[in-house]
Amino acid sequence: MADPIHQFQIQKVVDLGAVNLPVFGHTELAITNSHIAMTAAFVAIVLFLQFVTSGAKVVPGRLQTAGESLFDMIDGVTDSIIGHDGRKYFPFVFTLFLLVLAMNLLGMFLSFTPTSQLAVTVTFAALTILLVIGVGFIKNGLGFFKLFWPMSAPLILRPVVGAIEFLSFLLRPVTLALRLFGNMLGGHVALKIFAGFVVALGAGAFVGEGLGIWGLPVAALSMVGVVAITALEFLVAFLQAFVFAVLASIYLNDVVNLGEGH
Amino acid sequence: MAAPNPHDTHATTEAEGHGSGGLPQFQTEHWAGQIGYLLVLFFVLYILIAKVFGPRLRRVMDERRDTISSAVATARQVQTEAAEQAAAAKAEVDKARADARATAAAAKARVTEEANARQAAEEAVVNARIAEAEASIGKTRDAAMANVSTIAADTTAAIVERLTGKTATAAELTAAKGAA
Repeated sequence: MADPIHQFQIQKVVDLGAVNLPVFGHTELAITNSHIAMTAAFVAIVLFLQFVTSGAKVVPGRLQTAGESLFDMIDGVTDSIIGHDGRKYFPFVFTLFLLVLAMNLLGMFLSFTPTSQLAVTVTFAALTILLVIGVGFIKNGLGFFKLFWPMSAPLILRPVVGAIEFLSFLLRPVTLALRLFGNMLGGHVALKIFAGFVVALGAGAFVGEGLGIWGLPVAALSMVGVVAITALEFLVAFLQAFVFAVLASIYLNDVVNLGEGH
Repeated sequence: MAAPNPHDTHATTEAEGHGSGGLPQFQTEHWAGQIGYLLVLFFVLYILIAKVFGPRLRRVMDERRDTISSAVATARQVQTEAAEQAAAAKAEVDKARADARATAAAAKARVTEEANARQAAEEAVVNARIAEAEASIGKTRDAAMANVSTIAADTTAAIVERLTGKTATAAELTAAKGAA
């Protein structure tokens, strides 16, 4: 059976040599399948937005409606979660959402999914949390630390609750990165395994290997499973992008509206 | 799966390709390249959305909202005007109806009055004629009644003469008539 992990292997397309970087250590510089998939996602987004906005009409066509509904959705998220300042952070959240969505969806069609790479999801999470910290300090100065001093809690409990808040804040980038990574990894592994069953057992039935003739019903069942999981994965691809955008908005809201009714 | 199997050899060669044998996502020698490239893409897309696509979409949507709200306002205004006109028309119709009713009532009253007057006049004429006729009838009757007593006297005289053979005097006749 085909190795379900093989699809996540980074493969060099153009090798650019190796260097030693301070944080990352030994690094292979190359244009890889990951770079190509990311570029494809990027180009797809830019083309999509260009088509949506270039001939934008007051009465929209189909593509424009699709683009506008995505726009509206994220606009609604930032507006309802962050409030009045939401528009300032809309480009960031929309960029995040579109990149994650495009990479997730592209993974359903190409053999490589960038969002199943930990390096990619960590980058998204780090960008988000660094923006949160940056905005927190710029807007509130040292008042940023009030985030870990919950005024609504009784005084005795405040250090404890504050410690928990601090820990949960530290875990935010980790959960952000791992949620997307885990969802993509798990989904694609499951797809690959079920698809592998279909081929291996189906072929085995004809050559007399594996389960023999009994492999056929199992293969058929696996086929149904593959179809169902594919549908589910499309949902997950969208949902994870949306969840990422919503969580980024929530984290931004914490520091943008710090101390306003926590 | 002890039997030599093409899938097995395939899997082993691939496992060798993975190097450490764990998830390929943990091969950190590929991290920096991906992260750096993704940051560049993210930054470029951010600029494009913030400066080009976002404002474009927002402009179109604002335009649409303005168009819709102005259209709704116009529609509302037209509706109000129509309602006003309908009210005016209704008032006009009501007034016309009231006028017509008043005219009809006036005409009816006039006609009734005229008819009554004519009827009264005709009645007076007829009554006069009746009275006249009654007067003439009475006169005729009186005359006839007067004739009746003469006829009765004559008849009596004739009967008496035939029965008795004598002619009755006028005084006897009158007395007999009075007795009868």
